[in-house]
Amino acid sequence: MNSTGRGVRFLYACLIAAFLLLMYLPMVTIALASFSRTRYFRFPIPAWSTNWYAEVFESLSIRNFFWTSVIIAVLVGLISTALAFFGALAFARYRWKGRKLFQKIVILPILFPQAVLGLALLLWFTAIGITPSWQTAVFAHIVWIAPITTLIIAIQVYSFDPAWEEAAFDLGATRLQVLREVTLPILTPGLIAGFFSAFLLSWANFPLSMFSSGADQTIPGWISAKVQAGYTPQVPAVGTLTMLAAAVIMGAGYGLVVLQARRRARAEAAG
Amino acid sequence: MAEAAQSLKPPEPAGQPILQLRNVDRIFDSFAAVDRITLDIYEREFFTIVGPSGSGKTTMVRMLVGMDKPTNGDILLRGERINDVPANRRPTCMVFQSLALFPHRTVGQNIEFPLKMRGVDAATRRKRALELLDQLRLPQSYYGKMVTQCSGGERQRVALARALAFDPEILFFDEPLSALDYRLRKLLEKELKDIHRETGKTFVYITHSLEEAMVMSDRIGVMNRGRFVQIGTPREIYGSPHSRFVSEFMGEVNVIEVRGEAGAVVDAAGTRFATPVVAADFDTGTLVVRPEDVRFVGAGESADNRLTGVIYNEYLLGSRVQYQVRVGEGQTFLVEKLRDQMPPGGPGSAVTIGWDARDSMVFPASRLQQ
Amino acid sequence: MSRASDFAAEAPAPLRAIRAPSRLASLGRWFAEPGVVAAAPLALLMLGGFLGPLLLVVVFAFMPGGTFSILQVPTLANFVEIVANSYYLSFLASLWLAALTVVICLVVCYPVAFAMVRVFGRHGSILALLITAPLFVADNLRLMGWVLFLVKGGVVSGSLQTWFGIEVDSMLYTSGATLFGLVYIYLPFMLFPIIMGISMVPEQMREAAFDLGATRFQVLREVDVPLAMPGILIGSLMTFILAAGSLTEARTLGGNAVTMIAMDIQKEFGFAQNWPKGSALAVLMILLAGALAVTALKRIDLDLIFGRK
Repeated sequence: MNSTGRGVRFLYACLIAAFLLLMYLPMVTIALASFSRTRYFRFPIPAWSTNWYAEVFESLSIRNFFWTSVIIAVLVGLISTALAFFGALAFARYRWKGRKLFQKIVILPILFPQAVLGLALLLWFTAIGITPSWQTAVFAHIVWIAPITTLIIAIQVYSFDPAWEEAAFDLGATRLQVLREVTLPILTPGLIAGFFSAFLLSWANFPLSMFSSGADQTIPGWISAKVQAGYTPQVPAVGTLTMLAAAVIMGAGYGLVVLQARRRARAEAAG
Repeated sequence: MAEAAQSLKPPEPAGQPILQLRNVDRIFDSFAAVDRITLDIYEREFFTIVGPSGSGKTTMVRMLVGMDKPTNGDILLRGERINDVPANRRPTCMVFQSLALFPHRTVGQNIEFPLKMRGVDAATRRKRALELLDQLRLPQSYYGKMVTQCSGGERQRVALARALAFDPEILFFDEPLSALDYRLRKLLEKELKDIHRETGKTFVYITHSLEEAMVMSDRIGVMNRGRFVQIGTPREIYGSPHSRFVSEFMGEVNVIEVRGEAGAVVDAAGTRFATPVVAADFDTGTLVVRPEDVRFVGAGESADNRLTGVIYNEYLLGSRVQYQVRVGEGQTFLVEKLRDQMPPGGPGSAVTIGWDARDSMVFPASRLQQ
Repeated sequence: MSRASDFAAEAPAPLRAIRAPSRLASLGRWFAEPGVVAAAPLALLMLGGFLGPLLLVVVFAFMPGGTFSILQVPTLANFVEIVANSYYLSFLASLWLAALTVVICLVVCYPVAFAMVRVFGRHGSILALLITAPLFVADNLRLMGWVLFLVKGGVVSGSLQTWFGIEVDSMLYTSGATLFGLVYIYLPFMLFPIIMGISMVPEQMREAAFDLGATRFQVLREVDVPLAMPGILIGSLMTFILAAGSLTEARTLGGNAVTMIAMDIQKEFGFAQNWPKGSALAVLMILLAGALAVTALKRIDLDLIFGRK
């Protein structure tokens, strides 16, 4: 490290802190707003209440939107990870003619505005004669999320030595055994990270769902509609709950990866 | 060409050929990485393929283990064509350059891998793994250790144990020692030779170091541009290289550009050199002399070839000393002597160097245009 | 010592006529390659879920206005109308805001990324986690947080009023608010590529530059920025295109202060039910994104960025 003095270090720390504050400020505001007793948000909050949460938990419609969001996110997570696992191998592992073009095409959806993509997909579904529903939302999400998952897994694949697979094959393993005994276990951390990212990105997606989910609404969609139709602190309450859920799921994913590393470390210590 | 094939014919070692190549090609686009090779490898021998990077040796070994297929020609294992048998169904296996130890597995699990693939039960696997740890001089406590925790030399041994657990008929090695430091490499080269003798298996070893090949091999094949330029015992390769390429590949040598004229070998300045046989006339060619074959010639001593010059540099190589001698404009000669041989004076002193006719190796590059 | 056979042994491999495999056979072999097989599912998805829909949009753009079928006689009428009725203004406004967003994000993200990689690299993973987390909360929800923060009676104006007696009006629904919303949403999209770019610069190369007498600023100009360029380029590209095509991201804070191209597109597809015209507007977006992505991706080696090789 080239002579980063204490003062400079402190300045950089402040910078990062300011950045994080900026990132989290609106989320903190939402959490605050959800505990306001009055229907309209005022600051400083004159009276506190948890009634809005009670309402949220009683609301059958919100429960519906919640399950729609969960089902979409789970499916998107699973399908994206499966597609991305093979996609990442093609992206980073195998050398084949057309790989560079494939890499670029995979990146494109990430580099494209989601709202415009959502509209294009809506047009596409309608032209083919498919009525938009939560299933089409799953498809739309995957178009955008599978490429991201592919990149996440590809990073792990890049550090994968092809000789591992060759050695296993050479030592008498079948193609299936190679996959089960070598490729999958070594890539597991990347797959976990990929799945959880895909799940969470789908969970938080609004622009694609807006155009592709038809009559089936997701939580972000409900929030948007509610803000326009009539704000109540139910909105920040639901928002706070979705943030909590995201945090818990993220923690679970992180924990899973750490647990795996621990297990390996324990095995090392035993050796 | 027929003549060349004759001279490249290896001496017949004892035993039957186990692996045979018949006009094997591997062509990428229009480039022949391996170019019509015919070769026999014999049972129980330690055969080493040596060549610079890009000579086709890795392509060759990948075909031999079944990870690549020849474009033309046949590979025969005990007389049976195995071109299309995939690696996992061949009774051969390889120790990889990167070793390819599975990072998510313990030493024991790595060694047991081929047995597990074959469906061997856990107790038998464990017993065999522990035997192999013993055989490779690794403590049995390493059984449960992660391979990522092992040192370079230990990992080499684990990789070898894993390959031996497979119980292959032929064991291939793709430069497995290249990443190690000099001392450890020397040690493991000798251990490998021991293992070869103890197991009685056929070893086929790939390396870019002729020095490494010399230490271990029964026979060496030197590869260049997809072909074998010479196959022979280490003694033959060292003693009578067939070409400038082989002689230079062995290490530092002195090279003089020469031509063959009326039965004599002459350089550009007109100096005649004594050579063991009378060469046919040729336009351009080289005369190669090994540094260790050159000596300092004192007053009154004789030598078939003599040059005068000035010592320019002195390099200590441990037991030996190398001198760089300037013998003319831009021309230097390397002379290598044992440390206890008479030092001729330090850098700056004028010396006469010389060598015997039998140490001149002449390689004509083209025939005289007539 | 010398042998006639040396001539043969030394000579380069003689050129031989190598029979070229038939085109069909080599195509067949290509389809059997593991890379092609592994790429197939994702490639099909991209074809049917990205390239296909965009192509349909392009086709629709050439259909006469108001139709819902692509079997009409192609026409340029929609593009003529875009020019005649100044629809391109929203496109220009989007480009301008996107450019501003890129500049601000760059200025903010470079030092933050530098600090994360070079100064606090040891805590890199936890910091990365903290910065990733907001991406898992819906954009519109986070922007609603800003609405509550900035609205009249919200956190800012409420605090100023209560504790300082200063009356401030709502800070929302201005072009400045639009820009702020875009910057806020796209900061992470700039930050991550820059972090990757900076991580690609070997520390030794910076040390060598210092050692050779470069000042801090010179190291930044000669080593840091040029070597981190692929990351900076990808971040800028992504931020620019996404910001230019943003819809709710721009509307939530800015309202209708600035009409973005995506708002016009949405209007034509939804309220106006004029698919061809909406498509024609979307084609502008597709052309912009396509042209930028293709030029930038041409100079970037993705293996280098993601593989660190």
